Amino acid sequence: MPFHPQGLTSLKPSGRVNPNLHALAHGGGPILTKRIPSWPYADPKDRLIVSYDEYVKTGGYVGLRKALAMKPDAVTEEVKKSVLRGRGGAGFPTGLKWTFLPKLATNDQGQEADPGQRYLAVNADESEPGTFKDRLLMDYDPHLLLEGIAIACYACRIKTAFIFIRGEYHHQAHVLEQAIAEAYQHGVFGPKGLLNGENTARGGSFSVDCHVHRGAGAYICGEETALLEGLEGKRGWPRIKPPFPAVKGLFGKPTIINNVETLAHLPSIIEFGADWFCKQGVASTLPGNNPPSFGTKLMGVSGHVARPGVYECELGIPLRVLVEELCGGIRNGKRFKGAIAGGVSMGILGPDQYDADMDFDIGRKHNVLGLGTAGPTIFDEDTDMVAVARNIARFFKHESCGQCTPCREGSGWLYQLLGRIEEGHAKTRDLDLALEIATSMGSMPGTTICGLADGNNWAVRTIMNKYWSEFEKRVQPTHVAVKMTVGASAKG
Amino acid sequence: MAWTTKDSGGMKVARRAEPYLTQAMRDELTRDILPRYETTRAALLPTLHMLQHKHGWIPAQAMLEAAEFLKLAPAEVIDTASFYEEYWLKPKGKHLVQVCRSIACEFCGQPEITQAVRAKLGIDVGETTDDGKFTLIELECIGACAGAPAILIDHTLHEGVTPEAIPALLDNVPDPH
Ligand SMILES: Cc1cc2nc3c(=O)[nH]c(=O)nc-3n(C[C@H](O)[C@H](O)[C@H](O)COP(=O)(O)O)c2cc1C
Ligand code: SF4
Repeated sequence: MPFHPQGLTSLKPSGRVNPNLHALAHGGGPILTKRIPSWPYADPKDRLIVSYDEYVKTGGYVGLRKALAMKPDAVTEEVKKSVLRGRGGAGFPTGLKWTFLPKLATNDQGQEADPGQRYLAVNADESEPGTFKDRLLMDYDPHLLLEGIAIACYACRIKTAFIFIRGEYHHQAHVLEQAIAEAYQHGVFGPKGLLNGENTARGGSFSVDCHVHRGAGAYICGEETALLEGLEGKRGWPRIKPPFPAVKGLFGKPTIINNVETLAHLPSIIEFGADWFCKQGVASTLPGNNPPSFGTKLMGVSGHVARPGVYECELGIPLRVLVEELCGGIRNGKRFKGAIAGGVSMGILGPDQYDADMDFDIGRKHNVLGLGTAGPTIFDEDTDMVAVARNIARFFKHESCGQCTPCREGSGWLYQLLGRIEEGHAKTRDLDLALEIATSMGSMPGTTICGLADGNNWAVRTIMNKYWSEFEKRVQPTHVAVKMTVGASAKG
Repeated sequence: MAWTTKDSGGMKVARRAEPYLTQAMRDELTRDILPRYETTRAALLPTLHMLQHKHGWIPAQAMLEAAEFLKLAPAEVIDTASFYEEYWLKPKGKHLVQVCRSIACEFCGQPEITQAVRAKLGIDVGETTDDGKFTLIELECIGACAGAPAILIDHTLHEGVTPEAIPALLDNVPDPH
């Protein structure tokens, strides 16, 4: 049992929790939120920013020390073995992504060639509506992220990490800057860095720099190549791939992009091992050789629930359990009507999909785009789903970067059409038109550069399809004027 | 945002003698920021943030100064500055009231919040009060969905706000920064 859980005893009596339903299978309590009091383990009111000293006192930087005693490739191998999948939305296996970096030659003594400049771009742009999980880590436990960054940099031989944080996260940027200063002071980063040791298993001195780079209010900068453009001081226009960032990324150098939560998993994976990590979460039950959903996941639940917030759960927890047992159910005793699966780009889980398991299989099992950021927004029975679709369409119209015509124009048309449907001015044929526009845009149909348009497509299409009768009720029938040319009515 | 056309060519630049990019800012950029990046252009977002922080918005002259300092074409600066919504290329009020209108907020009561702010300030979304004290805008998700409806007043996040609480909130806004 790796961690000592604060235990359910610290729950305030008001917390309506069934301890059997959420208990993490490894029996050790929360992992990412170990130092951040969270339901159902502890009361969020007790949250404090964890300083370097506090972090170390509670077992911090042990994972990094262990990593430094391993060869970098062994660290990557361990992460690969854990099948940690990216927590930023796409669920791509992290260890595998790292192996796409150019291979380094070794000399006769087994000494690796100088990797040259490579970058880690930490994706802290978190702007997907319904997503607020990375913020929790940066609000309170910044060193967990920094330790993850240091481990990733060591494994990938990266010398510079930039944390690209969204502009609106003023406070979080500040907390990170302070934590980075502490980390420099204590020899994690900087010329005397990586815990002041030149004696890592890799051999040779290796120093890592870490900086905060603030974005400035553009959702698209969360897309990994737009993020690189933003780092380079340009407008956030996604790049056409290939070349992939691992080969040619920031300033044309090999670059790894990882989400905040993904990196925060690394310290415990290295400390306790991949086998330990794989005991949490679930294997895929889809036919074929699908990657599993191992580990815990921060799930930010919002909308019409009694107790919204970020909950650390094992992947695979049914949405119903998450809402009914952890979030205190739908607020005001209302019934469940639907839930955004995890960020608006993913589309919606309909009234009959309340029992969906929150894991990476969810897309194929429940006709949504995917698990996304696993931040469900819950809607009660009184919600107007046409308005939900319009809200989301407005978001995408607003955030389209404008490079690709189907996305730039299509997002505007969709928003107009849905507005018209909401106000009752649309015709039946407008429903088909909306679906046609939605379906034709995205990188999956192959008409756009990035996945923003796919998000728009999936959101609008799944809401319309799963609540079709609501949309039909809002439109006027399309009367087709028929001119009779035979029979009694043909005269005149 | 992104793809609005801009009249950069025909723009008349109002000039003042005192530079917007002060010597102290130039020193800080040279010492702390520029060494981080391989190109000077990469320091553009931090430079623009700095300018806006100091002046509340980014006048055309400030962009020209930034271009000269970072050895960029003015067009490159305005291209970036006009893309990112957080940069104000027109003056705004002393305080910026930003109401989140994204998914969780709208369906947890945002329309009433916007209405309460409009009523209290006597302005519409996108407008500034006559005394130049407040500008009101709506923006997309600010990552505070558990606290919906949420609003940002300057850099301070207020979660779970009610229409009734708005007048007092706006009467007691501390000086920015
Ligand atoms: C339009 C769009 C927006 C995105 N926004 C974010 C974001 O805000 N944060 C994030 O971590 N990933 C975001 N992603 C996913 C990233 O492109 C990328 O897959 C991810 O950062 C990789 O990190 P991971 O493998 O650790 O998840 C976005 C993708 C798209 C297409
Ligand atoms: S799909 Fe949309 S957001 Fe993505 S690059 Fe094209 S226009 Fe920009």
